[in-house]
Amino acid sequence: MRYLGIALVQAWRQTFGRLTPEGTCKYHPSCSQYALDAFEKHGLLKGTGKAVWRLLRCSPWSHGGVDYA
Amino acid sequence: MILAGILTPLEDLLTWALTNLHDTVGLPWAWSIVALVVIVRMLLVPLTVRQIHSMQNLQAHAPEMKALQTKYKHDRQKMNQELMAFYKENQINPAASCLPIVAQIPVFIGLFFVLRGFEGEIFPAYRAMGEGTGDLEWLNLVHIIDNTKVGWGPLLVVMYAISQLTSSYLMSATMQPAQRALMLILPIAFIPFVLNFPAGLMLYWLTTNLWTTGQGLITRKLTPKREPPPKKSSRTPPKSEATAKAERPAETNSTNEPKPVQNGPPRVKKVKRKKGGARR
Repeated sequence: MRYLGIALVQAWRQTFGRLTPEGTCKYHPSCSQYALDAFEKHGLLKGTGKAVWRLLRCSPWSHGGVDYA
Repeated sequence: MILAGILTPLEDLLTWALTNLHDTVGLPWAWSIVALVVIVRMLLVPLTVRQIHSMQNLQAHAPEMKALQTKYKHDRQKMNQELMAFYKENQINPAASCLPIVAQIPVFIGLFFVLRGFEGEIFPAYRAMGEGTGDLEWLNLVHIIDNTKVGWGPLLVVMYAISQLTSSYLMSATMQPAQRALMLILPIAFIPFVLNFPAGLMLYWLTTNLWTTGQGLITRKLTPKREPPPKKSSRTPPKSEATAKAERPAETNSTNEPKPVQNGPPRVKKVKRKKGGARR
């Protein structure tokens, strides 16, 4: 099941991800890499939750920084 | 419908930009699209450069920051103070976010609708002024309003697939083999969808890919040296340099090694500990 999530992230990278050059995320690793790591580590459900929460934390008021899955 | 409502002002702006590039600058429609991409990306260059520079510093100091975060795990306020001081010291700019760059996504979707409606909404006025369909051509190959199935359109699709594969290949050099394979298969899986795109949108996509790949290669080249990326040279990327770099990807990868090393070990370790048996 986790491969569904991984495939979706890869699909994102192939399409709209192309518009956001690597190294422009305020977090490290980038949100898509974080999602991939989260799927690998926690499986589809929890991985999705973690990835969504990471995306929501990307705002002009957050501090960014180092944050591994 | 809601999406369309949000996109309408953006579509108007894109239509305005396109028609002005065509009328005032005098570019053919196809080159107006290419010019629009280049303008958008050029406007974003200063922002991108600043952002990449900040992120390079962040990556370089990732272990120290992780240590800070663990040290003050139970005192969030203290942790934030320490982190902010650390950011300041190391020229990391956490206030910047990727939002302006993410804003390109609605631009892309907006342009999709503009080009889809081009034949019915924009072109009739020009046809009335005596403009023929010849003005819709790109290098005598495609009409920008046709699907990429038509005429030489498939050539454009092949060019898209090549550009997509090249940039995937360069981007995925440090990834796990299985994920890398997936990343290289996906561009081919997209082709059926892409065949229904107007050729003009394909042109937009091709230009975007070329720009992103070139920009990525240049920033990679600048990463290991740890010097602030010179803004002026990234604005006018030296082509010979970019192609020279493309010819030796192995070298650029090896210089890029530190990142996956920081990233890899903790993940592998934890996976083994938790789910080693259940995974395969």
